[in-house]
This record gives sequence, structure tokens and C-alpha cells, in this order.
Amino acid sequence: MKSIKNIFTTVLLCCIFAGARAQDKEEPVQYEDYFKVTAKADTTRIRIGESVKVDLTAKVMLYALKGANIKVIFPNIPDSSNHIELVERTQLDTTGSNDNQRIWRQTVTFTSFDSGRWELPPMKFEVYSVTDGSYDSVFTDPIFIDVSTVAVDTTKAFKPIKPLRVVGFNWLDYWFLILGGFLLITAIVLYFTMWRNRKKAPKPLPVVPSKSPFERAVEALDKLEKEQPWQTDVKGYYTSLTDVLRNYFEQQFNIPAMEQTTAELMDDIKPVTILNQQRNEIYAVLSLADLAKFAKLQPSPQEHEDSLRKARAVVEWTRASALPKTEQPAIGTNS
Amino acid sequence: MENTSYDIRQINEKIHQASSFVDLLNMEINKVIVGQKYMVERLMIGLLAQGHVLLEGVPGLAKTLSIKSLSSAIDAKFSRIQFTPDLLPADVVGTMIYNQQRNEFMVRKGPIFANFILADEINRAPAKVQSALLEAMQEKQVTIGDTTFKLEEPFLVLATQNPIEQEGTYTLPEAQVDRFMLKVVIGYPTKEEERHIIRQNLAPEGQAKISPVVRPEEILEARKLVRQVYMDEKIEQYILDVVFATRNPEDYKLGKLKPLIAYGGSPRASINLALASKAYAFTKRRGYVIPEDVRSVCFDVMRHRVGLTYEAEAENVTSENILSEILNAVEVP
Repeated sequence: MKSIKNIFTTVLLCCIFAGARAQDKEEPVQYEDYFKVTAKADTTRIRIGESVKVDLTAKVMLYALKGANIKVIFPNIPDSSNHIELVERTQLDTTGSNDNQRIWRQTVTFTSFDSGRWELPPMKFEVYSVTDGSYDSVFTDPIFIDVSTVAVDTTKAFKPIKPLRVVGFNWLDYWFLILGGFLLITAIVLYFTMWRNRKKAPKPLPVVPSKSPFERAVEALDKLEKEQPWQTDVKGYYTSLTDVLRNYFEQQFNIPAMEQTTAELMDDIKPVTILNQQRNEIYAVLSLADLAKFAKLQPSPQEHEDSLRKARAVVEWTRASALPKTEQPAIGTNS
Repeated sequence: MENTSYDIRQINEKIHQASSFVDLLNMEINKVIVGQKYMVERLMIGLLAQGHVLLEGVPGLAKTLSIKSLSSAIDAKFSRIQFTPDLLPADVVGTMIYNQQRNEFMVRKGPIFANFILADEINRAPAKVQSALLEAMQEKQVTIGDTTFKLEEPFLVLATQNPIEQEGTYTLPEAQVDRFMLKVVIGYPTKEEERHIIRQNLAPEGQAKISPVVRPEEILEARKLVRQVYMDEKIEQYILDVVFATRNPEDYKLGKLKPLIAYGGSPRASINLALASKAYAFTKRRGYVIPEDVRSVCFDVMRHRVGLTYEAEAENVTSENILSEILNAVEVP
């Protein structure tokens, strides 16, 4: 009978406790129920100057907000505080957020240059409701970081500074240069091989005139003298005579005499001293020839021969400049 | 008819006598015109060779004055037509006017009915007016209504034009340009010549007056003589070579000119080159033509007869450049 009474008492207490728990759930929502923050360090033991990465996470459970619009403000961390230096802060990362919860993450890198045990104080996260203007804050747990220095045996003497360390040569470090050089050399060799093996255009044989302009002129004048064409065709004779002279001037003195009139030719021979010395003779021949060619003038037989003689005199006068350099007599030598 | 050396000597003598008026004309014109010998010489060639002359140059180079002076020095009828954008063909050739009293249409002759026509600033009139001159220039006759009128000899059109680049100018049609025997490009006078021009214009007694010193009959006689000037077949061949080189430059080892020439000289170019060469020889008191004569007038006869392609214009090649190349390549007889 006593045991039944104990069971009843136990069940009654359980019901009361369960009722009390149910009453608890009906209480207004507290921030800590839906807003959780953590600060987690990747290590708590470092050597001087080493870094500690602290992951800051803020998580908001959306179901508890009932549509309220809130903003989360991450802690304001000073650059330097309590022997701990702030090195870097990453951008906020919201990966992992979904319809039920919203997550913000940030990694903060700290370091310290003082040995000892230093406290990274609790960091304050603020939460602000845009809907009703309520505001609250949540703190993380403090993190203690042990910063140790390098152990120095003070009993030993100072060691000298180590010399520069030479990095060993490794062909693989230069593979791209070697490959590039090889390709370049190959291209150059190929180019020269092709250039040497190209189809060479046949070299035009140098046109060596069998005779010099002077010789040809003299020969033509000899022929005129021998054939005496003025006996039958006066106009033809003067045409031939002037052609001999003009061809000679063109080939020997580079004067475009074949395309020039008598007046133009007389102008062009001015700079050629050796010809200019004979300008009267040249003009006499050419002007008489013009009359014979274009004005049907019939010069006397004496004039025919005179013209030929004058033409020959002009050619002979320029003989010195017409001969090749080696054949010219040396001027001003002492021999 | 074959000329003999005796004939040529006779022609020479005749020319010596007949060409004396050339000096007289020159002296009279030089009373007013300072310098511009080249232009006056070309006007004389046009006069003697019965060829119309087109003078081109910027305003103020005495183009109009030269022509007026030439006309004044010849005892002939002269009229001046100032070409303007609103000029009508009837203003040039004339028109039919209704006579109420007689109850019939009567012909009112235009200023073209004169011996010397000064077509001033010809390229300021539109093409239809320029074309009105065509019949008169070529046929030396004018048709008004149903009646055709012969123009009195000597008949010569001496036109002036401003360079095409000038404001308010129209390009002359090719057909009309070709009817001008010579196109003479006038340049500025020298410093010394310009000094004389200033003095002459500011002289207290005013400008000298030109009196007629030559009769039209003398001009007509001289024109007959110009045609008798002997031209050897070698010179004819030379003229043909020059004209053909503008048409087929590749035949004269001038293939590089082919893409620059749109069209070469017409047969009228050959005729005019021969005639102008004879007139030039006449002014030099020669009874025969030599290659110098051809070369002297070649640019003035040919420059408006060689059509340039767009390529040539893009490369700033002028017809004078092309003609120079041709003259330097064609063998002189």
C-alpha cells in the first residue's frame, strides 16, 4: 500500500514539473534564445609574431522573430589592445543562411609581440530591431592566448650571423627559358636553311656594251662619211647626223638629248664644261640640221661636209672624258 | 601639194612682211598691260590660229584688261558678256521679241554678234548658258528661232575663269572646254612688274588709251598665212606621238600614267596643237614649224584635254605633270 502511495506521489510531482515546464515555454522570447554568437580561435598558443585566427559567428533564428526586422552589428575591435594586435578582418560571409536561420561569419586575425598570457576580451555583438526599435547586446566568451618566446640559453656565447645561403641550381627552374631559347634557335636555323635553299633568281648578265659611246659615235660618223647620204637624201642625212650626236650625248653625258629640242639641248650642255666649250660647233650643226629637217633647206655640199666635220670635232673633243678612267692620262703626277 | 624649199622661202618672206602687225599689237597692248608677256603671246596665237582662248587665274591678274586691250587695238566690234549665275542663254545669243506694231516676232540679236567676245568669268554661269556658246564657238553661227545667222569674221571668244576652287563657280562641261584652243593659266606678275603696275595705275595723267592699230582684214590675211606655214611630216608625227601618248601611255613606256589618265586628247587636240604651233612659228616670223613650237604651245593646248582620274586627283597629280612626263619621254624629231 505504501509503495502505491509513493508511485502516486512521484507521478503527481512529474505532472507538476511538466506543467511548470509548459508554463516556462509560454514566457516572452529572450534574445539569447534566437540570437547566438560565438568566437572560436584556431589556436590559443602561439610564438611571438604568429597569428591567431578567430572566427566570429552570429546566428539569428528567424522563426522566433515573428517577422520582426533586425540588424546585427559586429563588435568594434581596436587595432591594439591588451598586447594583442589586430592584423586583418575579412568581409562578412553569409554562407549557410536559409529560411530558418541567418548566419554571419567573419574571421579576424590577431597577433602579439609580447610574451605572456593575454586575454582577448569578450566581444560585444549588438542586435537592433528595426521594427520596434528595441536593442540588445550579446557578448562572446573571452579567449586567452598564450604567447611564448623563443627559449634562449644565456649561458652560451653569441653565435655569428650565418652567411647567405646559396640556393642550389636546378635546371627545372629554368625550363621555360630553355624551351624558349631552343625554339628560337630552331626558328632561326630553319629560316636560314630556307633562305639559303631558296630559288635564286637568275642573275641578269651585265650588259656590257661591245663598244663605248665614243666608239659607236665615231663609227657612225665614219659610216656617214663613207656612204655620203647627202647625195640622195639630205633630210635623212641630217636626221642621221643629229641622231648620232644626240645619242652620244645621251649615252656619254646622261643628257636626255633624244627627247629634247635644239634649244633645250643647248641649255642642258651648259653644265657639262667639255661640251659647253664646243657649244658653237654643236649649235651650228643642230640648227642647220633643223632647217634641213623641218624647213626643207638644201644646204650646199660644202655645208654637208662641214656639218660632218664639226660633229666629228665635237666627238673628238670629248674623247678624254669618253675614254675609260684607266686610259686617261694622269694629271699632276711627278713621274 | 608638196612644198619645196623655194616655196618655204617665199612663205618666210611673206610672213616677215605680214607679221609686222604682231609687233604693233604688242606695243599697243603693252601700253596698258605690264608683264604678262606669256598671256599676251597666247592671245595672239588664238587670234592668228582662229582658236578661242580660255584664261584662268585668280581675280586681279589683268585677264579682262588684256582681252579688252587686244580688242581695242583691233578695229573690230567688241562685246563683253559678264557671266553671272542668273544669266540666261537668250541673254547671250539673243531672242525673238513680239512687235505689236508689225504684229510679228522680230529677232533681237544678243551680244554674241561681235568680232571679239569677252566671256568674263565664264564659269560663274550654269552649264546651260555655257552651252549656248557651243554652236557659236564651233560653227561660228547662231540659231535664233528658225533662223540661223552667220557670225562675222574674225570671230573669237576670249573667256576668263576663276579657278574651280573659288566660291560660286561651276565646272565647264568637257564638250565646251574642248572647244577652246588654248587654256592659259595666268600667274602673278614679278615684283618689278608689279611696281610698274602701281606706278602706271597711279599716274596723274591716268591710264594710257589704246587705239586701233590693226584692221580685221589684216588678221584674216595673217590667218591664211598661218595655215601656209610649213609643217614637216616629222613634226606631224611628233604631234601625233604626244597626243597618242595621252591616250595610250603604255605604248610610250609610260605605263605608270595609265591609271592617272581618264581620257586623252581628242583629234581636235591634234588639230589645235598643229595649228597653234604654226601660229607660234608665225609670231616668231618663221615659215616652218620646229619642235620648239610644238613644245611651247603643248601645255596650253593639251592641259584641258587630258582628263584626270580620281586616283590622280587624290595624289595631287595635275594634267601639267602628266604632260611633262609625256614630253620628257616622247622622242623629239
